[in-house]
Amino acid sequence: MRAIAPHTPPRKPARQTPEEFDKLYRDHVDLIYRYAYRLCGDTESAKDLVQETFLNAYQGLKDFRGEARVSTWLYTIASRACIRMRRKRKGQPEHELSIEEFVPTSEGEFRLQIPMDGLSPEEALQNKELRKALDQAIEKLPQKYRMALVLRDMEGFSAKEVGTIMGLNERAVKSRLHRARLFVRRELSARGITHHDGYKPGSMHS
Amino acid sequence: MTKKKTATQRKPSKPSSHGHSHRQGDCVNLLRQLSAYIDDELPSDVCTEIRRHMGACPNCEVFISSLQHTVTLCRHRPAPQLTSADRKNMRRAILDAANAQ
Repeated sequence: MRAIAPHTPPRKPARQTPEEFDKLYRDHVDLIYRYAYRLCGDTESAKDLVQETFLNAYQGLKDFRGEARVSTWLYTIASRACIRMRRKRKGQPEHELSIEEFVPTSEGEFRLQIPMDGLSPEEALQNKELRKALDQAIEKLPQKYRMALVLRDMEGFSAKEVGTIMGLNERAVKSRLHRARLFVRRELSARGITHHDGYKPGSMHS
Repeated sequence: MTKKKTATQRKPSKPSSHGHSHRQGDCVNLLRQLSAYIDDELPSDVCTEIRRHMGACPNCEVFISSLQHTVTLCRHRPAPQLTSADRKNMRRAILDAANAQ
């Protein structure tokens, strides 16, 4: 595992005590794992990212100036580590998404062909096929768009906070977020999910 | 979002691409603002204009609804949880890596 924290002094990192680290780890590991899983899409890569994140945090906490919440600082470290890990795996640049490519060209592309009518989101997401389609759509997103979507729509940060974490201005965050949402919408629209496993029609309407 | 058909071919319950009274580019302009609309970030006069457009353009209405559903699904997608063993093993690996440096 490579030490990567940009906040860390290059020669002799100022480290936390094990007690400080344990508290940081205990309080935030589930949060950062959830984020890592949503970014990576699989458990092993997510665990690697969590370890990389906390290793950097372990080495860099004394340089943390308290200008942001600790959780935001950890999200920032995780985001940067994720970008570096991807660069190590793949060399090719990510493609840009343009608004024009999301303009529907046929009648069937306007709506989602998925069972949601009368269902709460939680109920709709009990459909394994829908969960899989959603996960695959998010995973297909180029990383910089996926990160904006995950932070804003799944982790619940404001656009300003996402900008702090990703090192972008708010306008750029919103641009990436919009394209990411349109991308996921299009992917879901292309999937005809009609079977709702585990529920009988009518039994789940509130 | 603006294919041409005659009004007599329309089915009221389905999204239809005809019957537009607006310019073709209006739909694309609207598409550019949809996330801001969903996130309630637009001025009220722009929101009014978008709602007016939706009234005249069933396809855009369906499209906005589908985007709202997409965002809702993302917001509610649960993530898997770590086990106690995972937490313990990762903590050990982090401390080992830190001490090895």
